[in-house]
Amino acid sequence: MVKRLVDIPEVEARHLAAIQCPTFGETRALAGKPLAERRVVIISTAGLHRRGDRTYRPGDGSYRVIPAETPARDLVMSHISVNFDRTGFQQDHNVAFPIDRLRELVTDGVVGSMAAVHYSFMGAFPPDAAEPYARNLAGLLRQDAVDAAILVPV
Amino acid sequence: MREHTEVVRPPRALWVTFDLGRPLGAPDDPGLQRRVLRAALDLLQRTDGPLIVDYPEDAPTPTDFSGWSCPIDLRPPATDANDRGAALLREIGQLAGWYDRVLARRGRTTVGLSGLDMEAAGRLVASALDGALPPSQELKEAVDDLKAYYLEAAAGFPVPGSDIKRKAWFWSETQLASMLLALQPRLAASEDAGHKILANLTLIPATERHRLRSQ
Repeated sequence: MVKRLVDIPEVEARHLAAIQCPTFGETRALAGKPLAERRVVIISTAGLHRRGDRTYRPGDGSYRVIPAETPARDLVMSHISVNFDRTGFQQDHNVAFPIDRLRELVTDGVVGSMAAVHYSFMGAFPPDAAEPYARNLAGLLRQDAVDAAILVPV
Repeated sequence: MREHTEVVRPPRALWVTFDLGRPLGAPDDPGLQRRVLRAALDLLQRTDGPLIVDYPEDAPTPTDFSGWSCPIDLRPPATDANDRGAALLREIGQLAGWYDRVLARRGRTTVGLSGLDMEAAGRLVASALDGALPPSQELKEAVDDLKAYYLEAAAGFPVPGSDIKRKAWFWSETQLASMLLALQPRLAASEDAGHKILANLTLIPATERHRLRSQ
């Protein structure tokens, strides 16, 4: 999660303040395995995908699949918003999609393992548009034995 | 946004002060990225959620490039003054060597949404300005590719300055940006919903829209 509305230019803050967010009632933080035994997935909302995959469109609530072995040179970003920095991602994909850092934590034994496949949404969607895809994704994560997800917004 | 997170109430959230688009802090700073990721993952052991924890570090302060100006002259020759398309292609060509240099250094590029080479993307923008508007998605992908190409190229200049300076250079000095600003009213006047979204939201950043009034 990044920033407060007061920290960003007023024109941009006005636009962001108008975004309707749902409130989820039951969001308990349940106990689970130690980190060293967990299998972790990265779920980005940066509009990432492999070059050649379908680009994101306005209102698109679907996700793209990013296999863990995807080379960095194949990663592109087609988020529709122009109101966040892309030069950081152009320089180093880990600043938005920390897959190399996660891999290092697995190698060092801090994290148990990483998912075979990671995912990206394109954050500018109405929540209803993403819900069926999110439910479908939850099933895929169970199948991959994932038991922790790190959600990385931009 | 912290305000949005307070409304949504995820079980565990790590709040960072970094610029939008850089949730792990800074590019090519694996130490910082690793500390941020670790701090987020360490929240998994907390069971007192929903909670928001403040990450204690700020991003490194960028070097001051307040006197920076673009080290290469991209201004079109006078003969191009009335041919925006030719001026744009010339500008794209002048950046090619810098783009190649950065591509070789980084081993990757984020250009490649549209499937067009940069000259073809430039011709599409020029035709949108002077002829019929292309489909909105086609135009958006070409423009996003061109923006990535320009900003990646600018990172290869001999004295590249900060990313903030390079973005300011893009919007205040390039032929491409002046053409995008000129294109906005045409898109806004179109009856196509996709063109209107481009005009109102996804072509010109909110922080640069003041330039539309001076067009």
